[in-house]
Amino acid sequence: MENYSENSRSPLTTPKEQPHPLFFSLRENVAHIQEQLGFSSDLAVRWVMINETACAFLFIDGLVDKDTIHDYIMSSLMLDMPVKASSSDLLYDRIKTVSLPVGELLETDDFRPLFSSLLSGETILLLENENRALMANTRGWQDRGVQETTSEGVIRGPKESFNETLRTNTALLRRKIKNPKLRMDGKTIGRLSQTDIAVVYIEGLAEEQVVKEVHQRLDQIDVDSIFESGYIEEYIQDAQYSPFPTIYYSERPDAIAEGIAKGRIAIVIDGTPDVLLVPALFIHFFQSSEDYYQRADIGSLLRLLRLVCFTIALFTPSLYIAFITFHQEMIPPTLLVSLAAQRDGVPFPAFFEALIMELTFEILREAGVRLPKPVGSAVSIVGALVLGQSAVQAGLVSPAMVIVVAITAISSFVFPSYNIAIPIRMLRFVFMTLAATFGLYGIILGLIAMVLHLCSLQSFGVPYMSPLAPMIPKDQKDVLLRLPHWKLFTKSAALTKDYKGSKHGGTKEKQS
Amino acid sequence: MNIPTMRAVVSAMICLAMLTGCWNSRELDELGIAVATGIDKNDQGEYLITVQVINPSEVATEAPTTRPPVSTYTITGETLFEAFRKLSIKTPRKIYLSQMRLVVIGESLAEDGIMPALDFLYRDHEFRPSYYITVAKNASVENILSVLTPYEKIPANKVMNSIENAESHWGVTTGVHIDTLISKIRSPGEEAVLGGLLLNGEEDVGNRMSNVEQADAPTTLELDETAVFKEDRLAGWLTEKQSLGFNFITGEVSSTIVTHPCENGETSSVELLRSTSSISAEMDGDTPSISVLIEAEGNIGEMNCDISIGEPEGIDQINLALEEEIETIVQSAIVAAQSDFESDIFGFGQAVHRYEKNDWKTLESEWDEVFKDVRVQVDVKAEVRSRGNSSRQIDKKG
Repeated sequence: MENYSENSRSPLTTPKEQPHPLFFSLRENVAHIQEQLGFSSDLAVRWVMINETACAFLFIDGLVDKDTIHDYIMSSLMLDMPVKASSSDLLYDRIKTVSLPVGELLETDDFRPLFSSLLSGETILLLENENRALMANTRGWQDRGVQETTSEGVIRGPKESFNETLRTNTALLRRKIKNPKLRMDGKTIGRLSQTDIAVVYIEGLAEEQVVKEVHQRLDQIDVDSIFESGYIEEYIQDAQYSPFPTIYYSERPDAIAEGIAKGRIAIVIDGTPDVLLVPALFIHFFQSSEDYYQRADIGSLLRLLRLVCFTIALFTPSLYIAFITFHQEMIPPTLLVSLAAQRDGVPFPAFFEALIMELTFEILREAGVRLPKPVGSAVSIVGALVLGQSAVQAGLVSPAMVIVVAITAISSFVFPSYNIAIPIRMLRFVFMTLAATFGLYGIILGLIAMVLHLCSLQSFGVPYMSPLAPMIPKDQKDVLLRLPHWKLFTKSAALTKDYKGSKHGGTKEKQS
Repeated sequence: MNIPTMRAVVSAMICLAMLTGCWNSRELDELGIAVATGIDKNDQGEYLITVQVINPSEVATEAPTTRPPVSTYTITGETLFEAFRKLSIKTPRKIYLSQMRLVVIGESLAEDGIMPALDFLYRDHEFRPSYYITVAKNASVENILSVLTPYEKIPANKVMNSIENAESHWGVTTGVHIDTLISKIRSPGEEAVLGGLLLNGEEDVGNRMSNVEQADAPTTLELDETAVFKEDRLAGWLTEKQSLGFNFITGEVSSTIVTHPCENGETSSVELLRSTSSISAEMDGDTPSISVLIEAEGNIGEMNCDISIGEPEGIDQINLALEEEIETIVQSAIVAAQSDFESDIFGFGQAVHRYEKNDWKTLESEWDEVFKDVRVQVDVKAEVRSRGNSSRQIDKKG
């Protein structure tokens, strides 16, 4: 991990807060909180008398569940307070132990945790002559509920997806794995945003080294705000300058639970439905959770199909360029003649033609993501007509090139993980340039470089290409093929590193 | 990586991207795809080459025009290489030779010796050695390559497909590639053959579009007879029957129809489905003798003899007739090769070399003389496997 030194950081950075103990005076405490929050309009302060002691409830409007506050805090303290306490000290203890029927109640004598829980939707109870505060969990805000996944659809299998609330997300995981060993280590990252994070894994199943490594990397993050898992991903990923993702993410609880059950570690971040999963190997991006729900034969075939599509999406335009400008002798004669007929009258070299079409497609694709839904159909019409027909009729591109771009585009949407299509999108242009410069020779050079790079990558200590390179025979049952479930009983050796010849395996034996 | 290196790498990469028109890269629309080449010699002893180039937009089009699907260009040159390059003064595009299907050798070049011409065809890296080599039998190569063929738009493709089809279903023609040709010319105790290409009809009609606008094209290209070479010179032509005999001996008949007469004056045909041959040699004192064993299997395809093929005896009769017929065919080829052309196209010398290594050393130098009179024993074993849908001939009687 890189060390981010203080001076390289933006001036916006908030300094680390110093401890600040609470005052004895209730007025002073409330004034301090109001002042710190700049008399914010959503800060609600309710002054009450309990047992003739002045108290104040503070909460942030909109972050709290008002019913809980009314029914279980206010009414129980103000209406049902059973015993009269003689001193304020005693009153405080009474409230804490007897009279506050809420599930989570914490106390503090410092302003820092007070602020962070106040701003997370907890209700603060301050008493006169008391330098401690009670914090009751009354979190409850509007979220969009557990809805159907939009970006990772399946035919068969659960349809639910994570949402933006950490607790909902961890609950979804708990519901899938009802095991006491399921660990959810909490963390707060981000000086400004104070984002809650949970590291979820199964103790004893996840490799201890990796869990430790995850914690270590997360603890090193020093950043103002975290709004999405992408922030965390960039901070903790292994290869900063690789186009290939070394961290998997998904918004499907079943996909993440599947990973956790196989000994991987999930990182749930508040505020985003995308949950990270590490270690992520190359092959994981080609495996859909649906592979396990469908029958084994079709599951295996679909995996192979995805790998074929990977090749198609990455190499088709470059192979087309190479064949058509360097290796015409390799094209079957009938095809060559028809290609030559199509190329007649196209003003650009094949490379330039491919570049135009691929760029146009990328533009359409980006526009399709950004466009408001009602205009979406306009894009498809423009795309289909302008790209498919008019460009050909106008003699700008040859029909074969349209087919090449189309098959490339369709193939790049096959992967269950959107992540892996990104290096393909980028590298496609590199390969096209290589093909236009050196022909097949260039493509092979590029391929060798790419394979070397892939083999050099690691994800949290696990070789990225494993269990293919290094080859782990006993793991092959769930790599390219998905054997029937009753054959998949043992867990992945690549992830647990107990395969022969591994660095980790060796040290582990020595330790024991 | 420091900044100067980064700069160098980045600028190199930009340059590379810009240099896409360089070196070996050729755009498809800059290539004239040649499918057939004719090679001959003119009276001055110069090479005369004719190249048949595809006109892609006419071949692969949904709206055909009146322009021909191929164009031919003819030019002369001291050497073949020179002639091919010189073609650029006539053609709008660079001639691209890797998709060549057919090379037609003119008769006068064939009589003079083809080896010098083969050197270029074999050496140049652009030629993919999968084209067939044929000899123009009765017309100049220029005329043959100018014939437009019906049904198959590209004449070279038509010839190539005919060679392949006839080879697998009729067994008379031989498709010869350049490596086989060169190795046969070079190896002692074996001579080369090439297929013949015949122009059937008027030369002046064949090169017009009107030729292919009729259901029955007046001018056509046909495969006919087989050119026999002695070393690299044309020695003569085998007739169709002799060609079949030649293919029987070399074991290259995969399927053919053998017709034999029978007692009632009618004929019957057997479709051969498999045929193998083995040539062996042994010394008979000082003179070698060759034995050829041909084994053939087939089905009765047409039965007009008065033979009851429902009985095993009937089948035996057919087998016998078949064997006799094949032997006659084979003998005719042997006689032609031995007495007419004195050319060992069957590779009998190679057989002597294989079986009688020591004697071959003395025989090798005088093999041409020995071959003329060498005794050849032909054995044919034919077997009919199936008799079709009826166990007897279909006749007028009930």
